[in-house]
Amino acid sequence: MFGLIKSLVKDHLYTLKSTKFDTEGFIEDVLAKSRRLQEQYSPFIAINDSANAEGAGGMLYGLPVSVKDNICTRGLQTTAGSRILEGYVPPFDATAVAKVRQVGGIVIGKTAMDEFGFGTFATTCAYGVPKNPFDKDRSCGGSSGGAACVTAAADFPHIALAQSTGGSITAPAAFTGTVGLTPTYGRVSRYGLIDFSNSMDKIGVISRCVYDSALMLSVMSGYDPLDSTSSAMPSQDYTKYMTDSLVGVRIAVPREYFSDVVDRRISERVMDALAQLEDCGATYESVSLATTKYAIAAYYLIAVSEASTNLAKYCGLRYGLHDSIDGNFDAYFSKVRSEGFGEEAKRRIILGTFARLAGFRDAYYLKALKVRTKIIEEFKEVFRKFDVIATPSMPILPPRFSEIERMAPIEKYNVDLLTTAPNMAGVPTLSVPTGTVGGLPSGMQLIADHFREDALVKVGSVCEGLKWK
Amino acid sequence: MEVMIGLEVHCQLDTKSKLFCSDSTDHHGKPPNADTCPICLGFPGSKPKVNKKAIDYAIMIGMALNCKIAERMWFSRKTYFYPDLPKNFQITQYEVPVASDGYLNVGSSRIRIRRVHIEEDPARLVHMGGDITSAEYVLIDYNRSGTPLAEIVTEPDFKNTKDVRAFLQKLASMLEHLGVYDSSEEGSLRIDANVSIEGGERVEVKNISGFENVEKALNYEIVRQNGMRRMEVEVERETRHFDAESRTTKSLRKKETEDEYGYIFEPDLPEIHINGNWMENVRSAMPELPDQRVARFVREYGLTDYSAGVIVYTDKRLADFFEGCCRIYGRPAEVANWTINYLLKSLNWRSERIGASKVREETFVELLQMIDSGEITERYAKELIKEYVDSGESPRKIVGMEGDGGAAPLEEAVAKVAAENRAAVEELRAGKGEVMGFLIGRVLAETGKRGDPKAIREAIMNYLNGPEAGMPR
Repeated sequence: MFGLIKSLVKDHLYTLKSTKFDTEGFIEDVLAKSRRLQEQYSPFIAINDSANAEGAGGMLYGLPVSVKDNICTRGLQTTAGSRILEGYVPPFDATAVAKVRQVGGIVIGKTAMDEFGFGTFATTCAYGVPKNPFDKDRSCGGSSGGAACVTAAADFPHIALAQSTGGSITAPAAFTGTVGLTPTYGRVSRYGLIDFSNSMDKIGVISRCVYDSALMLSVMSGYDPLDSTSSAMPSQDYTKYMTDSLVGVRIAVPREYFSDVVDRRISERVMDALAQLEDCGATYESVSLATTKYAIAAYYLIAVSEASTNLAKYCGLRYGLHDSIDGNFDAYFSKVRSEGFGEEAKRRIILGTFARLAGFRDAYYLKALKVRTKIIEEFKEVFRKFDVIATPSMPILPPRFSEIERMAPIEKYNVDLLTTAPNMAGVPTLSVPTGTVGGLPSGMQLIADHFREDALVKVGSVCEGLKWK
Repeated sequence: MEVMIGLEVHCQLDTKSKLFCSDSTDHHGKPPNADTCPICLGFPGSKPKVNKKAIDYAIMIGMALNCKIAERMWFSRKTYFYPDLPKNFQITQYEVPVASDGYLNVGSSRIRIRRVHIEEDPARLVHMGGDITSAEYVLIDYNRSGTPLAEIVTEPDFKNTKDVRAFLQKLASMLEHLGVYDSSEEGSLRIDANVSIEGGERVEVKNISGFENVEKALNYEIVRQNGMRRMEVEVERETRHFDAESRTTKSLRKKETEDEYGYIFEPDLPEIHINGNWMENVRSAMPELPDQRVARFVREYGLTDYSAGVIVYTDKRLADFFEGCCRIYGRPAEVANWTINYLLKSLNWRSERIGASKVREETFVELLQMIDSGEITERYAKELIKEYVDSGESPRKIVGMEGDGGAAPLEEAVAKVAAENRAAVEELRAGKGEVMGFLIGRVLAETGKRGDPKAIREAIMNYLNGPEAGMPR
């Protein structure tokens, strides 16, 4: 069954190696197509008009790559989706981007996202909301919405560099029928990633197929002396774990991830997938991850606490949005921050500042960290007996923008129900499409133990061959 | 009313590069903002990386202050908005500092050390057109941003400003002995002092540079608080700024408590484990500490505890200077006497430390040798030393007795004195020896107290026996 989803990327890279290729013409064509995508779906914040291919002979030579706008690109505007960084051109490449460029990847543009990653629907972006290629009235998911949008809509070979803190890769991958790989925390250097919640931020991939995600992970992962939290474990070629047999693979199915809150049509697709995986040699078993019910609260407390300190630096003094200098420092930065931050950013700054203040720090911030430890322990316990955990990716199908507008903040946060626990535990996840439900994509989330992306690629590659009723 | 003083001493650690990036900490001859990069400017996406040398240095300081060294420690973010902080938070240590629960003995009192922690120095602010409260605008120099600091926090164990001064001197000497601190850098030691008077609130005077200023600031603050007590005005908890020019303190803000900084763990830096091996490496690299050096001075040079203490605790360079002089000259008791009683006084009078002065071992020894050989009197040497400290010239050159140019002025002076004191000269000639002292004194006055009484006596006798004697000038 392996190989049913054809990797455009693989074919493209193969063609490049074996024939003479007009790189300039190709890039021009890709940029023109990107501009058309922008008109249709607005997935980009910036298109790189001076895109070029460096790193001749590298393993990604000639491959168009889009980069989520919170990942720094030297010489190309990087705003993290926020007006407060409008016009900011980083003087350096994020390590992940540098690695991609070194092996010939072509940065074609910066993709739209919720401001600083603060959202599940890519609707809080200061530069336009990406529209779902399946239905333009619906969300692409967030916060890596632009990345998923380009991936789903592009008819040229392309891989997206995305990023997740609490589900920002899984959500848009599920909503757009694409593959989203969120690596283990520390697997890919965060140097050059604009911080949201440093203890949970991970650079990952959104792609058309599992092979492409595995390929990009192989390029990006590895120790980086510039990021003290990056792992010393050597990188490897993750594409070699592509397989068509799951003999001996044990899958855990946590009850808490199939509750009534989850759209039944989505969980049924996961159960259908599990039955088919069993036919490929895997076994599955129901387990309990009881701490899951605390995950959203704990996740948001940690995330906003860290985010509120990370956002302190944006004060219109050294980069990004400026204003005429009058009044004292306090008056000036208050003015710039009032203008530059969107509503959700302000909400999270206030929440985060509150959660770490005197008198609340113990009850909120520190307690949330203890819950995280519990959640990690619980995952570790499951992975003693199982290779992967399978859950639905998102509890809902891609919602209409009009529906999102009516949601209260807490309702939006609750949509992260299935992704916050693995994300705060720092374990890797892979979201794979499970066909469409009523014309809208749904997805299955696979979770593995720390640094076991190999298990995700293995199971994920088999999932690509599954049939949907 | 009992005074209670506690100190927070910020010591810039003399590492080659900054605490979290590889920029140089040596900005000599460089314009503002030359030693900066995306990390110490807090650019989006940049991440800190710990300079292990700074931790080594902080461990050393902790050990020298008899502290417990943390086996596990981490960094935290202290959030407050201020233009000198590029990230608007400072990476520092909160829950677990690198070292804690130590002490430093100063004279007969023991000052307890609460903690020693590592943090990054903010940028330097230059207030234009006024001081911190009145400036029109502020310039920011990020060269200093990210310089490693060790913050040494004492318990409020000081009862008076003299103890504070002695503590700071000994601490500075200790830091210099450890080789972790460069005293020649301006602002390399900055002090926050907490002062309270029995029954009153605690007032923090922030960011004082220089030991003398600490004393002035504390004296002012004690007088101010005492005055308020007498007027029955309540002393409020607040943060004040010391203005070195007016020697007063000004209110900056009502004091925030530590909890209001909203500390979180620094998520970009993993926990640091200081294992036995690391500790052993640091311990074995520990140089001789001031207390050990004092003991050695007593043992090797036969100094009193007091003398050895003055020399060593004042300044490491002074102790080095003393040993250097002893190597050239021998006679440690003489070197110590002249160093403590005269050299140090002259330096203090000029508010100068020996390292920054023009005093050199060779020239200082020359002065001692001139006394030995009778070229100058001790009394004159005490005067000469001031001029020597001022100019740094060779003492012989100052005296002007180098070569044969030395003889003529003395003879001229004798002739002048004899002409002016004919009666005394006659008495001397008549055998009244007691007037000799008077004449020598007059000659000394004439030569500006230069000259050896023995030589003067000889010159006077020569004069009596010489051709011009008795002749009117």
